Amino acid sequence: MPKFTLDGNEIEFKPGETIIEAAKKVGVDIPHFCWHPSLSVSGNCRVCLVEIEKMPKLAIACSTTASEGMVVHSQSEKTLSARNAVMEFLLINHPLDCPICDEAGECKLQDYAYQHSKGESRFTEEKVHKDKRVPLGPNVMFDGERCISCSRCIRFADEITKTGELTFVQRGDRVTIVTFPGKEFDNAYSLNVTDICPVGALTNRDFRFKARVWDMSATKTICSGCARGCNIEVWVRNNEILRLTPSQNDAVNSFWMCDYGRLETFKQVHSNERINGVYMKREGQDVKVSWDEAYANAASELKHLNKDQIAVIASASSTCEDNFMLAKFAKSVLSTKHVDYIPHVVPGSGDDLLIREDKSPNAFGTELAGVHPAAGGLNRDAILDGVKKGTIKALIVVDEDLAAMSPEMETALAKLDVLIAVSTHHNRTTALANIIFPSATYAEKNGTWVNFQGRIQRIRPAVTTLEADRTLDNLAQSRLDKFGTEYDRWGRSVKLDARPVWKIFAGLSTAFGNKMKYTTAEDVLIDMGKSIDAFKKLDYEKIGEQGVQLELSAKVKA
Amino acid sequence: MAEKKRLKDLTVWQKAYIPEIAKGLALTLKTMFKPKFTMEYPEVKFLPPSSYRGRPVLVEEAGGEERCVACGLCARVCPALAIEVQAAETEREKERYPERFEINMLRCIFCGFCEEVCPEEAIVMSKDYEMVFNNREDAIYGKDKLLVSVSQLQDRINFLRSHK
Amino acid sequence: MLIDFILIPLVKILIIVVLMLLTVSYSVYFERKISAWAQNRIGPNRVGPAGIFQPFADVFKLLFKEDIVPKVANKPLHTLAPILALFVAFTTYAVIPIGPPVEIFGKMINLAVVDVNSGVLLVLALTSLGVYAITFSGWSSGSKYSLLGGVRSSAQMISYEISMGFSVAGVLIFAESLRPSDIISSQSGWMWNAVLQPIGFLTFLTASFAETNRLPFDLPEAEPELVGGYHTEYSSMKFAGFFLAEYANMIIASAMIVMLYLGGWQVPYIETLGLSAGLQASLQIAAFFVKIGALLFFFIWVRWSIPRFRYDQLMDLGWKVMFPLSLLNLVWAAILAMIMN
Ligand code: SF4
Ligand code: SF4
Ligand code: SF4
Ligand code: SF4
Repeated sequence: MPKFTLDGNEIEFKPGETIIEAAKKVGVDIPHFCWHPSLSVSGNCRVCLVEIEKMPKLAIACSTTASEGMVVHSQSEKTLSARNAVMEFLLINHPLDCPICDEAGECKLQDYAYQHSKGESRFTEEKVHKDKRVPLGPNVMFDGERCISCSRCIRFADEITKTGELTFVQRGDRVTIVTFPGKEFDNAYSLNVTDICPVGALTNRDFRFKARVWDMSATKTICSGCARGCNIEVWVRNNEILRLTPSQNDAVNSFWMCDYGRLETFKQVHSNERINGVYMKREGQDVKVSWDEAYANAASELKHLNKDQIAVIASASSTCEDNFMLAKFAKSVLSTKHVDYIPHVVPGSGDDLLIREDKSPNAFGTELAGVHPAAGGLNRDAILDGVKKGTIKALIVVDEDLAAMSPEMETALAKLDVLIAVSTHHNRTTALANIIFPSATYAEKNGTWVNFQGRIQRIRPAVTTLEADRTLDNLAQSRLDKFGTEYDRWGRSVKLDARPVWKIFAGLSTAFGNKMKYTTAEDVLIDMGKSIDAFKKLDYEKIGEQGVQLELSAKVKA
Repeated sequence: MAEKKRLKDLTVWQKAYIPEIAKGLALTLKTMFKPKFTMEYPEVKFLPPSSYRGRPVLVEEAGGEERCVACGLCARVCPALAIEVQAAETEREKERYPERFEINMLRCIFCGFCEEVCPEEAIVMSKDYEMVFNNREDAIYGKDKLLVSVSQLQDRINFLRSHK
Repeated sequence: MLIDFILIPLVKILIIVVLMLLTVSYSVYFERKISAWAQNRIGPNRVGPAGIFQPFADVFKLLFKEDIVPKVANKPLHTLAPILALFVAFTTYAVIPIGPPVEIFGKMINLAVVDVNSGVLLVLALTSLGVYAITFSGWSSGSKYSLLGGVRSSAQMISYEISMGFSVAGVLIFAESLRPSDIISSQSGWMWNAVLQPIGFLTFLTASFAETNRLPFDLPEAEPELVGGYHTEYSSMKFAGFFLAEYANMIIASAMIVMLYLGGWQVPYIETLGLSAGLQASLQIAAFFVKIGALLFFFIWVRWSIPRFRYDQLMDLGWKVMFPLSLLNLVWAAILAMIMN
């Protein structure tokens, strides 16, 4: 491989790579605003100017391709003074309203101002005033004064979503961003510009002013919106999710996520409909009971039923661990053959960027984990038919609102001898259930999901439930989490009494007299690897931050 | 008086200790008849100088609005984690305002860091040192107790400006 | 008979106890006042005029406090300790005469509860019993601070009792008796022992400071290192017990000093004034209290002037200075007695 010298170190590069790319690979971050690894090079912010020997002038690192034997200085006096000058220019008209700017704390302009600015402006004239608070679309708010005209947002709309709603208008210091007349910036990925905007010019209207970045903790996990499984970060303060942002995974979602996933998937975690504690139906009333009581009750009701009359419906939103445990419980403890899950595919809803038609995050993983009817068992349609006909007398359903499917179904469910609902939220099915077990959402548990490509990825808890502890269970902690006490209002966050599905089934199994010796979700995964080839030799460390592509046999692939 | 002496530097007279004791006793005896400096608090109140750091308060503009823009810097810098700010959007020119601003007076150590860091001169240390509460909840002061009109705080603001 | 053996002692005891309690409370009050004055402050002035009811307020406050006993404490001993401390402090007072024998309603009444012939020994014995109170409290509290305080105080008290004993021996040589009233009458005129044996007076005075655990010798409760020393784990009335005992001990020590070295209730040459017997007796009683008061003031004054010794300094002083000095005094007293005879 060819080499060039950067700040006295020889570094290798691939032919055609720019200096900034090659430097990034070895961990040297050359300051930049307008350059973005997955957007075209625009070269307008000029902050990446570097000194290259034998070149008459400084060159921008983002568009200069590296060549053999080049000698680049990214920290030389000349480079630094150029950087200072660029920063001074950028700040001339910048409003510096960091105190009210949501970007503060994760703002590139702020960071570089700390590193490369004088701390004072020589500009005493009136700054240019532009429009602030301009809604570009339903989700994105634009602040003209803060914009440094890097054009990242325009390039995003042009190159990534290919919708091209945005453009510059005016010239010189009056330049600003608008949408084309009659257009709104409302594509399915619009909020990604708030992430790539290096300053606080574009903000998320949903998150605006909710919290400071430094008050939140960020947990890397997976979006639950569809089978893509975009890598995301969950931002939590006071045990409450405030926003989601995408995190880079080139094999899955690159830098992006869709607006639906970003805005709609986390609010249900804190909805008022969440089930808190175990309930049992007594004389038509839902009564709160202890876990052990509910387990014992469920066991005694299921025990005297014929095993062919019992069916289990799993959820494709549960983790592989959850579903493995469910299948194990159904097949070896209940010895029923009728196990299946209900897919949620919305035909025509997908696109060729990220969004998939399959709206469940773990349909693939659910099947891999063994959720399918055993030989001779009923499949999903047959189970539902059986419920309607009355051949199925007992049903365990996880996170599916079967009653909402049709009025007919609802009456059929009401007629069941035993209906056990494992659910995150109250819904029409839980209203009919004899026993309701509260399950933890994806933001409250450890586990793995397998996306549509067959890539296994980890979800991690960001919100604590009653049985978890932020410190002891290694959840991400913000400063307030670390030092708060129960006497501080912010220390008294809401904690629900809910458990991951696998724990609920382990508990049920114990009530049947079959003790399952798992203490963590990882134990379940490791055990899965012993019986299911696809999960062979996997553990959480191996899956890591970016996930692992499962080795699937030809049979499974088909 | 000020210089330090080792045992070996002392004279025999000093080593005998008793005369030194007598000197000490004489000093305290003399002091007993000197004028007293005690301020008899509830009747006589201490009027702090403008350099005094009493409880932190929020500056209320003449129009009845707070200056604070809920930037959260005070909450971040507070070494005692006494401050909690919840921002929200307003129609005013400064888009952001504190929907909730609470200082836990049991946590506050009156260090004045919040005042120092505030970019808006919106939180200042007042001269108020009389804080009484009967339970932990009452010790959390909300905006109702924290907002003090700017005219009452002029002293401190002038002091801060003169020491920039 | 009944009157002589029961009624009169009972009345005496009652008077002494009331007197004692009042003095104790007011020595606390004056302690606070004097410390305030020495520090340019005013001191307690809220309860009653000039704060004179402060001691009662203090007692009420302590009475209403919760009595906390540590879980690991040895409960009987923990309770016994303050009782013992108080008992010792108050009993000692029985043998100290506050004035010459007076005639009331035709009866000669001795102004001490009992005038035993071994009074001085009794006092010495009882005060050294006081160390048990402190050791018990230190040991039974189940706290390292208390234990260290207790250990320190026993070592300290034993060390200083020796020089104290030798100093007293000097006095006894002159009085040729252990009976308090004899010791007092042996110091008629200006023949006070403080004048005759200044070294003995000094060693005894210093030893009394150490015996009462008063600054500069209050190592058993040195708050910077030991929190509160032996009474760290005490609260409410039990704490008050120790507190009162400390002041009662201070009064005993003052009374002892007055009795042994400052001529007791005697006022030099008062007989030459030719006053009536009653007036003379009253003046003498008053003189006794004035002397005690002055000594109490001295105790308090010293506390607020002199810093605490380090423990090794305390031991050095006790064994290497006080002990030889008291021996020296004994020799001096012997020689003096020989010459004077
Ligand atoms: S964009 Fe950055 S520098 Fe500008 S106001 Fe916002 S945080 Fe401050
Ligand atoms: S809005 Fe942001 S991303 Fe768009 S040009 Fe301005 S600074 Fe760049
Ligand atoms: S630092 Fe000032 S402006 Fe910012 S939140 Fe605190 S008081 Fe408000
Ligand atoms: S004075 Fe100090 S401790 Fe008190 S609120 Fe301000 S920063 Fe926090």
